[in-house]
Amino acid sequence: MTLSALNADIIVDQLNAGEITATDCVQHFLERIETHNSDLNAFISVSDKALEQAEAIDNRRKAGESLGCLAGLPIAIKDGICVAGQPTTAGSKMLEKFSAPYDATIVERLKSAGAIVIGKTNMDEFAMGSSTENSYFGSTNNPWATDRVPGGSSGGSAACVAGRLAPVAIGSDTGGSIRQPASFCGITGLKPTYGRVSRYGLIAFASSLDQIGPMTRTAKESALLMSVIAGFDPRDSTSSKEQVSDSLASLEIPLKGIRIGVCRDHLNEGLHLEVKTKINDAISVFKQLGANIEEIELPHTKSAVAAYYIIAPCEASSNLARYDGVRYTFRAQANDLEEMYRNTRGQGFGDEVKQRIMLGTYALSSGYYEAYYLKASKVRRMIKQDYDEAFQKVDLILGPTTPTPAFKLGQHTQDPLAMYLADIFTVSANLAGIPAISVPVEPSSTGLPIGLQLQGRAFEENILLRAAHQFQNETPWHTTSPSEPWRTQS
Amino acid sequence: MPDTPEQPIVNQVARLARIHLDEQQLKSSGEKLEQILSFVSQLEQVELPEDVIPFFGAIESVNAIRDDQLQTSVPREKILDNAPESDGEFYLVPPVFKQTDS
Repeated sequence: MTLSALNADIIVDQLNAGEITATDCVQHFLERIETHNSDLNAFISVSDKALEQAEAIDNRRKAGESLGCLAGLPIAIKDGICVAGQPTTAGSKMLEKFSAPYDATIVERLKSAGAIVIGKTNMDEFAMGSSTENSYFGSTNNPWATDRVPGGSSGGSAACVAGRLAPVAIGSDTGGSIRQPASFCGITGLKPTYGRVSRYGLIAFASSLDQIGPMTRTAKESALLMSVIAGFDPRDSTSSKEQVSDSLASLEIPLKGIRIGVCRDHLNEGLHLEVKTKINDAISVFKQLGANIEEIELPHTKSAVAAYYIIAPCEASSNLARYDGVRYTFRAQANDLEEMYRNTRGQGFGDEVKQRIMLGTYALSSGYYEAYYLKASKVRRMIKQDYDEAFQKVDLILGPTTPTPAFKLGQHTQDPLAMYLADIFTVSANLAGIPAISVPVEPSSTGLPIGLQLQGRAFEENILLRAAHQFQNETPWHTTSPSEPWRTQS
Repeated sequence: MPDTPEQPIVNQVARLARIHLDEQQLKSSGEKLEQILSFVSQLEQVELPEDVIPFFGAIESVNAIRDDQLQTSVPREKILDNAPESDGEFYLVPPVFKQTDS
Protein backbone atom coordinates (compact mmCIF):
# COMPACT_ATOMS: atom_id res chain seq x y z
CA MET A 1 0.00 0.00 0.00
CA THR A 2 1.43 3.40 -0.91
CA LEU A 3 2.02 5.97 1.78
CA SER A 4 -0.73 8.24 0.53
CA ALA A 5 -3.30 5.49 1.07
CA LEU A 6 -2.41 5.17 4.76
CA ASN A 7 -4.25 6.88 7.59
CA ALA A 8 -2.25 9.16 9.87
CA ASP A 9 -2.36 6.80 12.87
CA ILE A 10 -0.89 4.00 10.71
CA ILE A 11 1.78 6.35 9.29
CA VAL A 12 2.76 7.31 12.85
CA ASP A 13 2.93 3.62 13.87
CA GLN A 14 5.14 2.81 10.87
CA LEU A 15 7.39 5.79 11.61
CA ASN A 16 7.72 4.67 15.22
CA ALA A 17 8.46 1.09 14.15
CA GLY A 18 11.20 2.33 11.80
CA GLU A 19 9.41 0.88 8.76
CA ILE A 20 9.43 4.26 7.03
CA THR A 21 11.32 7.49 7.61
CA ALA A 22 9.91 10.98 8.04
CA THR A 23 12.01 12.08 5.08
CA ASP A 24 10.46 9.45 2.78
CA CYS A 25 7.04 10.35 4.04
CA VAL A 26 7.41 14.11 3.53
CA GLN A 27 9.09 13.52 0.14
CA HIS A 28 6.17 11.35 -0.96
CA PHE A 29 3.54 13.97 -0.17
CA LEU A 30 5.63 16.82 -1.60
CA GLU A 31 5.84 14.84 -4.85
CA ARG A 32 2.08 14.34 -4.86
CA ILE A 33 1.59 18.08 -4.38
CA GLU A 34 4.05 18.74 -7.21
CA THR A 35 2.13 16.38 -9.52
CA HIS A 36 -1.47 17.19 -8.59
CA ASN A 37 -1.70 20.69 -7.20
CA SER A 38 -1.99 22.24 -10.65
CA ASP A 39 -5.28 20.32 -11.06
CA LEU A 40 -6.68 20.98 -7.59
CA ASN A 41 -5.09 24.28 -6.48
CA ALA A 42 -5.44 23.04 -2.91
CA PHE A 43 -2.19 24.64 -1.72
CA ILE A 44 -1.30 28.33 -1.84
CA SER A 45 2.26 27.67 -0.71
CA VAL A 46 4.46 24.68 0.00
CA SER A 47 7.02 24.67 2.80
CA ASP A 48 10.68 24.75 1.77
CA LYS A 49 11.68 23.67 5.28
CA ALA A 50 9.63 20.46 5.48
CA LEU A 51 12.36 18.09 4.25
CA GLU A 52 14.92 19.64 6.57
CA GLN A 53 12.53 19.22 9.50
CA ALA A 54 11.87 15.61 8.50
CA GLU A 55 15.60 14.85 8.43
CA ALA A 56 15.94 16.39 11.89
CA ILE A 57 13.17 14.11 13.19
CA ASP A 58 14.82 11.07 11.59
CA ASN A 59 18.15 11.99 13.18
CA ARG A 60 16.58 12.46 16.59
CA ARG A 61 14.84 9.10 16.25
CA LYS A 62 18.13 7.42 15.29
CA ALA A 63 19.77 9.00 18.32
CA GLY A 64 17.12 7.38 20.50
CA GLU A 65 15.53 10.65 21.60
CA SER A 66 11.99 10.65 22.89
CA LEU A 67 9.67 12.09 20.22
CA GLY A 68 6.13 13.47 20.22
CA CYS A 69 3.06 11.47 19.24
CA LEU A 70 3.00 12.86 15.67
CA ALA A 71 6.75 12.69 15.01
CA GLY A 72 7.33 12.80 11.26
CA LEU A 73 3.68 13.14 10.23
CA PRO A 74 3.12 15.64 7.38
CA ILE A 75 0.23 18.05 7.91
CA ALA A 76 -1.36 20.83 5.85
CA ILE A 77 -2.52 24.05 7.53
CA LYS A 78 -5.23 26.42 6.30
CA ASP A 79 -3.65 29.66 5.14
CA GLY A 80 -5.56 31.74 7.70
CA ILE A 81 -3.43 30.22 10.48
CA CYS A 82 0.05 31.59 11.24
CA VAL A 83 3.09 29.38 10.65
CA ALA A 84 6.24 31.29 11.61
CA GLY A 85 8.32 32.42 8.65
CA GLN A 86 5.80 31.06 6.13
CA PRO A 87 3.48 33.07 3.90
CA THR A 88 0.07 33.41 5.62
CA THR A 89 -2.31 35.08 3.19
CA ALA A 90 -5.84 34.19 4.38
CA GLY A 91 -6.58 33.88 0.64
CA SER A 92 -6.31 37.67 0.23
CA LYS A 93 -4.36 40.07 -1.93
CA MET A 94 -4.18 42.17 1.25
CA LEU A 95 -1.82 39.60 2.82
CA GLU A 96 -0.17 38.25 -0.35
CA LYS A 97 3.29 39.23 0.93
CA PHE A 98 2.61 38.64 4.65
CA SER A 99 5.03 36.33 6.45
CA ALA A 100 3.77 35.17 9.86
CA PRO A 101 6.04 36.49 12.64
CA TYR A 102 5.08 33.66 15.00
CA ASP A 103 3.40 30.24 15.16
CA ALA A 104 -0.26 29.96 16.06
CA THR A 105 -0.61 28.03 19.33
CA ILE A 106 -1.99 25.00 17.51
CA VAL A 107 0.97 25.05 15.10
CA GLU A 108 3.37 25.31 18.03
CA ARG A 109 1.67 22.29 19.62
CA LEU A 110 1.64 20.26 16.40
CA LYS A 111 5.34 21.01 15.85
CA SER A 112 6.15 20.05 19.45
CA ALA A 113 4.39 16.74 18.81
CA GLY A 114 6.68 16.28 15.80
CA ALA A 115 4.22 17.05 12.97
CA ILE A 116 5.74 18.63 9.87
CA VAL A 117 3.88 21.44 8.13
CA ILE A 118 4.17 20.70 4.40
CA GLY A 119 2.11 23.60 3.10
CA LYS A 120 -0.65 26.18 3.50
CA THR A 121 -4.01 25.48 1.97
CA ASN A 122 -6.33 27.58 -0.16
CA MET A 123 -9.41 29.20 1.33
CA ASP A 124 -12.10 31.77 0.71
CA GLU A 125 -10.65 35.21 1.41
CA PHE A 126 -10.61 35.78 5.19
CA ALA A 127 -12.74 32.58 5.42
CA MET A 128 -15.75 34.35 3.89
CA GLY A 129 -17.38 31.87 1.56
CA SER A 130 -18.71 28.37 1.11
CA SER A 131 -16.90 27.30 -2.06
CA THR A 132 -13.26 28.54 -1.98
CA GLU A 133 -14.13 30.55 -5.08
CA ASN A 134 -13.51 33.79 -3.16
CA SER A 135 -9.76 33.15 -2.95
CA TYR A 136 -7.42 35.74 -4.49
CA PHE A 137 -5.31 32.73 -5.52
CA GLY A 138 -8.03 31.09 -7.64
CA SER A 139 -10.62 28.41 -6.89
CA THR A 140 -9.82 24.98 -5.53
CA ASN A 141 -11.32 22.04 -7.44
CA ASN A 142 -13.05 19.09 -5.81
CA PRO A 143 -10.98 15.92 -6.46
CA TRP A 144 -14.20 13.85 -6.77
CA ALA A 145 -15.36 16.01 -9.70
CA THR A 146 -13.02 18.80 -10.72
CA ASP A 147 -15.81 20.91 -12.20
CA ARG A 148 -17.33 21.13 -8.70
CA VAL A 149 -16.40 23.22 -5.68
CA PRO A 150 -14.70 21.59 -2.67
CA GLY A 151 -16.86 23.67 -0.33
CA GLY A 152 -15.44 26.38 1.84
CA SER A 153 -13.98 28.20 3.37
CA SER A 154 -11.46 25.44 4.24
CA GLY A 155 -11.75 24.02 0.70
CA GLY A 156 -8.01 23.59 0.19
CA SER A 157 -7.64 21.57 3.40
CA ALA A 158 -10.59 19.34 2.44
CA ALA A 159 -9.43 18.82 -1.15
CA CYS A 160 -5.84 18.02 -0.17
CA VAL A 161 -6.93 15.34 2.32
CA ALA A 162 -9.51 13.85 -0.09
CA GLY A 163 -6.93 13.93 -2.92
CA ARG A 164 -4.23 12.50 -0.61
CA LEU A 165 -1.85 15.42 -1.09
CA ALA A 166 -1.55 15.44 2.71
CA PRO A 167 -2.53 12.74 5.21
CA VAL A 168 -4.34 15.25 7.48
CA ALA A 169 -5.06 18.97 7.61
CA ILE A 170 -6.24 21.75 9.88
CA GLY A 171 -9.14 24.06 9.04
CA SER A 172 -11.20 26.71 10.75
CA ASP A 173 -14.97 26.93 11.06
CA THR A 174 -16.99 30.12 11.57
CA GLY A 175 -20.31 28.99 10.08
CA GLY A 176 -19.50 25.55 8.69
CA SER A 177 -16.10 26.10 7.07
CA ILE A 178 -14.68 22.77 8.28
CA ARG A 179 -17.82 20.60 8.08
CA GLN A 180 -19.28 21.79 4.77
CA PRO A 181 -16.05 21.20 2.76
CA ALA A 182 -15.52 17.91 4.64
CA SER A 183 -19.00 16.90 3.47
CA PHE A 184 -18.38 17.99 -0.14
CA CYS A 185 -15.02 16.18 -0.29
CA GLY A 186 -16.01 12.97 1.52
CA ILE A 187 -13.78 13.38 4.57
CA THR A 188 -14.24 13.82 8.34
CA GLY A 189 -14.20 17.34 9.79
CA LEU A 190 -14.63 18.39 13.42
CA LYS A 191 -15.59 21.86 14.65
CA PRO A 192 -14.74 21.74 18.34
CA THR A 193 -16.63 23.57 21.10
CA TYR A 194 -15.93 27.31 21.14
CA GLY A 195 -12.97 27.71 23.49
CA ARG A 196 -11.76 24.11 23.23
CA VAL A 197 -8.91 24.97 20.80
CA SER A 198 -6.86 28.16 21.04
CA ARG A 199 -7.49 30.78 18.35
CA TYR A 200 -4.15 32.52 18.99
CA GLY A 201 -2.56 32.96 15.57
CA LEU A 202 -5.80 32.40 13.64
CA ILE A 203 -6.55 35.40 11.44
CA ALA A 204 -9.85 36.59 12.91
CA PHE A 205 -13.09 36.65 10.89
CA ALA A 206 -15.87 36.59 13.52
CA SER A 207 -14.31 36.17 16.95
CA SER A 208 -17.35 34.80 18.80
CA LEU A 209 -17.82 32.08 16.16
CA ASP A 210 -14.35 31.12 14.83
CA GLN A 211 -12.92 27.78 15.89
CA ILE A 212 -9.97 25.70 14.63
CA GLY A 213 -10.33 21.95 14.07
CA PRO A 214 -9.02 18.80 12.34
CA MET A 215 -9.88 17.66 8.78
CA THR A 216 -9.00 14.01 8.26
CA ARG A 217 -10.21 10.85 6.60
CA THR A 218 -11.28 9.18 9.85
CA ALA A 219 -12.67 10.16 13.24
CA LYS A 220 -9.74 8.32 14.82
CA GLU A 221 -7.28 10.66 13.09
CA SER A 222 -9.33 13.66 14.25
CA ALA A 223 -9.16 12.31 17.81
CA LEU A 224 -5.38 11.98 17.43
CA LEU A 225 -5.01 15.61 16.30
CA MET A 226 -7.40 16.86 19.00
CA SER A 227 -5.21 15.14 21.63
CA VAL A 228 -2.50 17.59 20.56
CA ILE A 229 -4.32 20.85 19.74
CA ALA A 230 -7.11 20.98 22.37
CA GLY A 231 -6.74 22.72 25.72
CA PHE A 232 -6.34 26.01 27.50
CA ASP A 233 -3.96 28.64 26.13
CA PRO A 234 -3.19 31.74 28.22
CA ARG A 235 -2.68 33.69 24.97
CA ASP A 236 -6.35 33.24 23.98
CA SER A 237 -8.56 34.75 26.66
CA THR A 238 -11.58 32.88 25.27
CA SER A 239 -9.93 29.48 25.45
CA SER A 240 -11.45 27.22 28.09
CA LYS A 241 -9.87 25.71 31.19
CA GLU A 242 -12.40 22.87 31.01
CA GLN A 243 -10.52 19.58 31.26
CA VAL A 244 -9.82 17.84 27.95
CA SER A 245 -10.87 14.21 28.06
CA ASP A 246 -8.97 11.55 26.12
CA SER A 247 -11.01 11.04 22.95
CA LEU A 248 -8.70 8.30 21.67
CA ALA A 249 -9.21 6.20 24.78
CA SER A 250 -13.01 6.35 24.57
CA LEU A 251 -13.44 5.60 20.83
CA GLU A 252 -14.44 1.97 21.30
CA ILE A 253 -16.86 2.38 24.21
CA PRO A 254 -20.08 0.85 22.83
CA LEU A 255 -22.86 3.21 21.73
CA LYS A 256 -25.57 0.99 23.21
CA GLY A 257 -28.19 3.15 24.89
CA ILE A 258 -26.86 6.46 23.54
CA ARG A 259 -29.72 8.81 22.67
CA ILE A 260 -29.56 10.44 19.26
CA GLY A 261 -32.00 13.19 18.36
CA VAL A 262 -33.26 13.75 14.84
CA CYS A 263 -34.98 16.98 13.87
CA ARG A 264 -37.51 15.97 11.21
CA ASP A 265 -37.71 19.55 9.86
CA HIS A 266 -34.06 19.20 8.84
CA LEU A 267 -34.84 16.05 6.83
CA ASN A 268 -37.68 17.48 4.81
CA GLU A 269 -37.94 20.85 3.15
CA GLY A 270 -35.39 21.73 0.47
CA LEU A 271 -33.26 18.66 1.00
CA HIS A 272 -31.71 16.90 -2.01
CA LEU A 273 -33.54 13.56 -2.30
CA GLU A 274 -30.39 11.43 -2.24
CA VAL A 275 -29.06 13.31 0.78
CA LYS A 276 -32.27 12.47 2.61
CA THR A 277 -32.08 8.78 1.64
CA LYS A 278 -28.44 8.37 2.65
CA ILE A 279 -28.95 10.13 5.97
CA ASN A 280 -31.90 7.83 6.73
CA ASP A 281 -29.67 4.84 5.87
CA ALA A 282 -27.08 6.18 8.32
CA ILE A 283 -29.74 6.44 11.02
CA SER A 284 -30.33 2.69 10.55
CA VAL A 285 -26.61 2.05 11.14
CA PHE A 286 -26.73 3.94 14.42
CA LYS A 287 -29.81 1.93 15.43
CA GLN A 288 -27.87 -1.27 14.75
CA LEU A 289 -25.09 0.09 16.96
CA GLY A 290 -27.62 0.25 19.80
CA ALA A 291 -28.49 3.95 19.69
CA ASN A 292 -31.99 5.08 20.58
CA ILE A 293 -33.28 7.50 17.95
CA GLU A 294 -35.63 10.18 19.24
CA GLU A 295 -37.38 13.06 17.53
CA ILE A 296 -36.46 16.52 18.73
CA GLU A 297 -37.35 20.07 17.80
CA LEU A 298 -35.05 23.00 17.19
CA PRO A 299 -37.65 25.61 16.25
CA HIS A 300 -35.35 28.64 16.06
CA THR A 301 -32.66 27.08 13.87
CA LYS A 302 -34.70 28.06 10.81
CA SER A 303 -33.64 31.65 11.59
CA ALA A 304 -29.99 30.71 12.11
CA VAL A 305 -28.70 31.71 8.65
CA ALA A 306 -30.37 35.13 8.91
CA ALA A 307 -28.96 35.71 12.41
CA TYR A 308 -25.54 34.49 11.30
CA TYR A 309 -25.43 36.83 8.29
CA ILE A 310 -25.89 39.78 10.64
CA ILE A 311 -23.63 38.67 13.49
CA ALA A 312 -20.67 37.40 11.43
CA PRO A 313 -20.42 40.49 9.14
CA CYS A 314 -20.74 42.82 12.17
CA GLU A 315 -17.82 41.09 13.86
CA ALA A 316 -15.89 40.98 10.58
CA SER A 317 -16.34 44.70 9.95
CA SER A 318 -14.64 45.34 13.27
CA ASN A 319 -11.92 42.65 12.97
CA LEU A 320 -10.91 43.65 9.44
CA ALA A 321 -10.56 47.33 10.34
CA ARG A 322 -6.91 46.55 11.08
CA TYR A 323 -6.14 46.12 7.35
CA ASP A 324 -5.60 49.77 6.57
CA GLY A 325 -2.24 49.91 4.82
CA VAL A 326 -0.18 50.63 7.94
CA ARG A 327 0.91 47.25 9.33
CA TYR A 328 0.12 44.37 7.00
CA THR A 329 2.27 44.55 3.84
CA PHE A 330 -0.21 45.89 1.27
CA ARG A 331 -0.56 49.63 0.79
CA ALA A 332 -2.16 51.40 -2.15
CA GLN A 333 -0.85 54.70 -3.53
CA ALA A 334 -2.39 57.77 -1.88
CA ASN A 335 -1.72 61.42 -1.13
CA ASP A 336 -2.90 61.45 2.44
CA LEU A 337 -3.73 59.07 5.25
CA GLU A 338 -7.49 58.92 4.74
CA GLU A 339 -7.08 58.22 1.03
CA MET A 340 -4.52 55.53 1.86
CA TYR A 341 -7.02 53.73 4.09
CA ARG A 342 -9.75 53.84 1.47
CA ASN A 343 -7.57 52.89 -1.50
CA THR A 344 -5.78 50.11 0.38
CA ARG A 345 -9.08 48.55 1.45
CA GLY A 346 -10.73 49.15 -1.92
CA GLN A 347 -7.89 47.44 -3.80
CA GLY A 348 -6.69 44.90 -1.22
CA PHE A 349 -10.02 43.22 -0.39
CA GLY A 350 -12.04 41.09 -2.81
CA ASP A 351 -15.71 41.70 -3.59
CA GLU A 352 -17.26 39.33 -1.01
CA VAL A 353 -15.09 40.66 1.82
CA LYS A 354 -15.96 44.26 0.91
CA GLN A 355 -19.64 43.31 0.75
CA ARG A 356 -19.60 41.75 4.20
CA ILE A 357 -17.72 44.69 5.71
CA MET A 358 -20.33 46.99 4.14
CA LEU A 359 -23.16 44.88 5.58
CA GLY A 360 -21.57 44.78 9.05
CA THR A 361 -20.81 48.50 9.02
CA TYR A 362 -24.40 49.26 7.99
CA ALA A 363 -25.93 46.94 10.61
CA LEU A 364 -23.80 48.44 13.40
CA SER A 365 -24.23 52.06 12.33
CA SER A 366 -26.20 54.53 14.36
CA GLY A 367 -29.93 53.82 14.31
CA TYR A 368 -29.70 50.24 13.00
CA TYR A 369 -27.92 48.42 15.85
CA GLU A 370 -31.08 47.40 17.68
CA ALA A 371 -32.95 46.25 14.60
CA TYR A 372 -30.12 44.10 13.33
CA TYR A 373 -27.27 43.14 15.67
CA LEU A 374 -29.26 43.18 18.89
CA LYS A 375 -32.21 41.34 17.37
CA ALA A 376 -29.90 38.73 15.81
CA SER A 377 -28.14 38.26 19.17
CA LYS A 378 -31.50 37.67 20.86
CA VAL A 379 -32.40 35.09 18.23
CA ARG A 380 -29.00 33.56 18.88
CA ARG A 381 -30.01 33.14 22.54
CA MET A 382 -33.18 31.31 21.45
CA ILE A 383 -31.14 28.98 19.23
CA LYS A 384 -28.83 28.21 22.15
CA GLN A 385 -31.85 27.53 24.39
CA ASP A 386 -33.28 25.14 21.77
CA TYR A 387 -30.06 23.14 21.97
CA ASP A 388 -29.96 23.28 25.78
CA GLU A 389 -33.46 21.82 25.88
CA ALA A 390 -32.73 19.19 23.21
CA PHE A 391 -29.62 18.03 25.07
CA GLN A 392 -31.75 17.37 28.15
CA LYS A 393 -33.37 14.60 26.11
CA VAL A 394 -30.58 13.35 23.86
CA ASP A 395 -26.78 12.99 23.81
CA LEU A 396 -26.24 13.78 20.13
CA ILE A 397 -28.19 15.40 17.31
CA LEU A 398 -27.97 13.84 13.85
CA GLY A 399 -28.77 15.35 10.45
CA PRO A 400 -27.29 16.21 7.07
CA THR A 401 -24.23 18.48 6.97
CA THR A 402 -25.37 20.20 3.78
CA PRO A 403 -28.66 20.24 1.84
CA THR A 404 -26.99 19.10 -1.42
CA PRO A 405 -23.75 17.46 -2.58
CA ALA A 406 -21.02 19.73 -4.01
CA PHE A 407 -22.36 22.24 -6.53
CA LYS A 408 -20.63 23.31 -9.74
CA LEU A 409 -17.92 25.94 -9.89
CA GLY A 410 -19.58 29.25 -10.72
CA GLN A 411 -23.09 27.98 -9.94
CA HIS A 412 -23.72 30.35 -7.03
CA THR A 413 -21.12 33.08 -7.52
CA GLN A 414 -23.69 35.65 -8.66
CA ASP A 415 -26.26 34.72 -6.03
CA PRO A 416 -24.97 35.33 -2.50
CA LEU A 417 -28.14 34.01 -0.86
CA ALA A 418 -27.95 30.64 -2.63
CA MET A 419 -24.32 30.42 -1.46
CA TYR A 420 -25.24 31.37 2.12
CA LEU A 421 -27.90 28.63 2.26
CA ALA A 422 -25.17 26.00 1.80
CA ASP A 423 -24.50 26.71 5.51
CA ILE A 424 -28.10 26.17 6.63
CA PHE A 425 -27.37 23.10 8.78
CA THR A 426 -23.95 24.16 10.04
CA VAL A 427 -24.24 27.76 11.31
CA SER A 428 -26.37 26.90 14.36
CA ALA A 429 -23.53 25.01 16.06
CA ASN A 430 -21.30 28.10 15.76
CA LEU A 431 -24.01 30.39 17.11
CA ALA A 432 -24.57 28.06 20.09
CA GLY A 433 -20.85 27.32 20.55
CA ILE A 434 -21.32 23.54 20.53
CA PRO A 435 -19.11 20.93 18.82
CA ALA A 436 -20.15 19.23 15.57
CA ILE A 437 -18.58 16.71 13.19
CA SER A 438 -19.21 15.78 9.57
CA VAL A 439 -18.58 12.20 8.44
CA PRO A 440 -19.05 10.72 4.96
CA VAL A 441 -22.08 8.52 4.25
CA GLU A 442 -22.84 6.65 1.03
CA PRO A 443 -22.15 8.94 -1.97
CA SER A 444 -24.79 10.01 -4.48
CA SER A 445 -25.56 7.84 -7.52
CA THR A 446 -23.20 10.08 -9.51
CA GLY A 447 -20.39 9.52 -7.05
CA LEU A 448 -20.50 12.81 -5.16
CA PRO A 449 -19.78 12.63 -1.42
CA ILE A 450 -22.55 13.31 1.12
CA GLY A 451 -21.95 14.25 4.76
CA LEU A 452 -23.72 13.37 7.98
CA GLN A 453 -23.50 15.89 10.82
CA LEU A 454 -23.48 14.99 14.50
CA GLN A 455 -23.77 17.79 17.04
CA GLY A 456 -23.06 17.39 20.74
CA ARG A 457 -23.05 19.17 24.08
CA ALA A 458 -20.33 21.73 24.76
CA PHE A 459 -16.98 20.06 25.54
CA GLU A 460 -18.26 16.57 24.64
CA GLU A 461 -16.12 16.11 21.53
CA ASN A 462 -15.22 12.64 22.83
CA ILE A 463 -18.84 11.47 22.36
CA LEU A 464 -18.98 12.91 18.83
CA LEU A 465 -15.70 11.26 17.89
CA ARG A 466 -16.74 7.96 19.47
CA ALA A 467 -20.05 7.89 17.56
CA ALA A 468 -18.34 8.90 14.30
CA HIS A 469 -15.61 6.28 14.80
CA GLN A 470 -18.07 3.47 15.41
CA PHE A 471 -20.13 4.53 12.40
CA GLN A 472 -16.91 4.28 10.41
CA ASN A 473 -16.24 0.82 11.87
CA GLU A 474 -19.52 -0.27 10.27
CA THR A 475 -19.30 1.60 6.92
CA PRO A 476 -16.70 1.88 4.14
CA TRP A 477 -17.37 5.46 2.95
CA HIS A 478 -14.40 7.08 4.70
CA THR A 479 -12.03 4.58 3.06
CA THR A 480 -12.79 5.49 -0.54
CA SER A 481 -10.68 7.96 -2.50
CA PRO A 482 -11.33 9.72 -5.79
CA SER A 483 -9.84 7.94 -8.79
CA GLU A 484 -6.82 9.40 -10.52
CA PRO A 485 -6.60 11.14 -12.91
CA TRP A 486 -9.33 13.27 -11.33
CA ARG A 487 -12.52 13.28 -13.36
CA THR A 488 -15.08 15.96 -14.12
CA GLN A 489 -18.66 15.01 -13.58
CA SER A 490 -20.74 16.80 -16.19
CA MET B 1 -36.56 46.31 10.12
CA PRO B 2 -35.57 49.66 8.61
CA ASP B 3 -36.20 50.28 4.90
CA THR B 4 -33.54 49.09 2.49
CA PRO B 5 -30.69 51.58 2.17
CA GLU B 6 -30.89 54.35 -0.45
CA GLN B 7 -27.79 55.01 -2.54
CA PRO B 8 -26.61 58.02 -0.42
CA ILE B 9 -26.65 55.72 2.61
CA VAL B 10 -24.61 53.10 0.72
CA ASN B 11 -22.10 55.85 -0.11
CA GLN B 12 -22.00 56.85 3.55
CA VAL B 13 -21.45 53.23 4.67
CA ALA B 14 -18.52 52.91 2.25
CA ARG B 15 -17.10 56.10 3.76
CA LEU B 16 -17.56 54.76 7.30
CA ALA B 17 -15.92 51.46 6.32
CA ARG B 18 -13.03 53.36 4.68
CA ILE B 19 -13.43 51.42 1.44
CA HIS B 20 -13.06 53.16 -1.90
CA LEU B 21 -15.72 51.89 -4.33
CA ASP B 22 -16.32 53.35 -7.80
CA GLU B 23 -19.81 54.29 -9.02
CA GLN B 24 -20.47 50.84 -10.50
CA GLN B 25 -19.27 49.06 -7.35
CA LEU B 26 -21.39 51.33 -5.14
CA LYS B 27 -24.48 50.52 -7.21
CA SER B 28 -23.78 46.79 -7.16
CA SER B 29 -23.03 46.88 -3.42
CA GLY B 30 -26.34 48.65 -2.79
CA GLU B 31 -28.21 45.97 -4.75
CA LYS B 32 -26.56 43.13 -2.85
CA LEU B 33 -27.15 44.87 0.49
CA GLU B 34 -30.81 45.18 -0.42
CA GLN B 35 -31.01 41.49 -1.29
CA ILE B 36 -29.35 40.36 1.94
CA LEU B 37 -31.27 42.79 4.17
CA SER B 38 -34.49 41.60 2.60
CA PHE B 39 -33.49 38.02 3.47
CA VAL B 40 -32.54 38.82 7.07
CA SER B 41 -35.77 40.77 7.57
CA GLN B 42 -37.29 37.35 8.42
CA LEU B 43 -35.82 37.94 11.89
CA GLU B 44 -38.69 40.41 12.42
CA GLN B 45 -41.09 37.47 12.45
CA VAL B 46 -39.27 35.66 15.27
CA GLU B 47 -41.31 36.02 18.44
CA LEU B 48 -39.08 36.59 21.43
CA PRO B 49 -39.92 36.52 25.15
CA GLU B 50 -39.78 40.07 26.50
CA ASP B 51 -36.98 39.28 28.93
CA VAL B 52 -34.69 37.47 26.49
CA ILE B 53 -31.05 38.34 27.08
CA PRO B 54 -28.97 38.69 23.90
CA PHE B 55 -26.23 36.08 23.49
CA PHE B 56 -23.04 37.76 22.25
CA GLY B 57 -20.47 35.08 22.92
CA ALA B 58 -20.61 31.39 22.41
CA ILE B 59 -19.33 30.49 25.86
CA GLU B 60 -20.13 32.65 28.84
CA SER B 61 -16.77 32.23 30.50
CA VAL B 62 -15.22 34.26 33.28
CA ASN B 63 -12.88 37.12 32.60
CA ALA B 64 -9.31 36.01 31.97
CA ILE B 65 -6.83 37.95 34.06
CA ARG B 66 -3.17 37.02 34.40
CA ASP B 67 -0.48 38.31 36.74
CA ASP B 68 0.94 41.65 35.67
CA GLN B 69 4.39 40.32 34.90
CA LEU B 70 6.76 41.27 32.13
CA GLN B 71 6.84 38.64 29.39
CA THR B 72 8.84 38.36 26.21
CA SER B 73 6.95 39.07 23.02
CA VAL B 74 7.65 38.89 19.31
CA PRO B 75 10.69 41.11 18.51
CA ARG B 76 9.82 44.50 17.03
CA GLU B 77 11.91 43.97 13.90
CA LYS B 78 9.97 40.80 13.08
CA ILE B 79 6.69 42.69 13.33
CA LEU B 80 8.03 45.61 11.29
CA ASP B 81 9.21 43.21 8.56
CA ASN B 82 5.57 43.14 7.41
CA ALA B 83 5.17 46.92 7.42
CA PRO B 84 4.69 48.55 4.00
CA GLU B 85 6.97 51.35 5.23
CA SER B 86 8.92 51.78 8.44
CA ASP B 87 12.11 53.42 9.74
CA GLY B 88 13.05 50.34 11.75
CA GLU B 89 11.43 51.73 14.87
CA PHE B 90 8.06 53.14 13.80
CA TYR B 91 5.50 52.60 11.06
CA LEU B 92 5.61 55.38 8.47
CA VAL B 93 2.39 56.69 6.91
CA PRO B 94 1.49 59.40 4.40
CA PRO B 95 0.87 62.92 5.78
CA VAL B 96 -1.94 63.02 8.32
CA PHE B 97 -2.52 66.75 7.85
CA LYS B 98 -2.65 68.51 4.51
CA GLN B 99 0.39 70.76 4.01
CA THR B 100 -0.19 74.50 3.55
CA ASP B 101 2.13 77.15 2.10
CA SER B 102 2.20 79.31 5.24
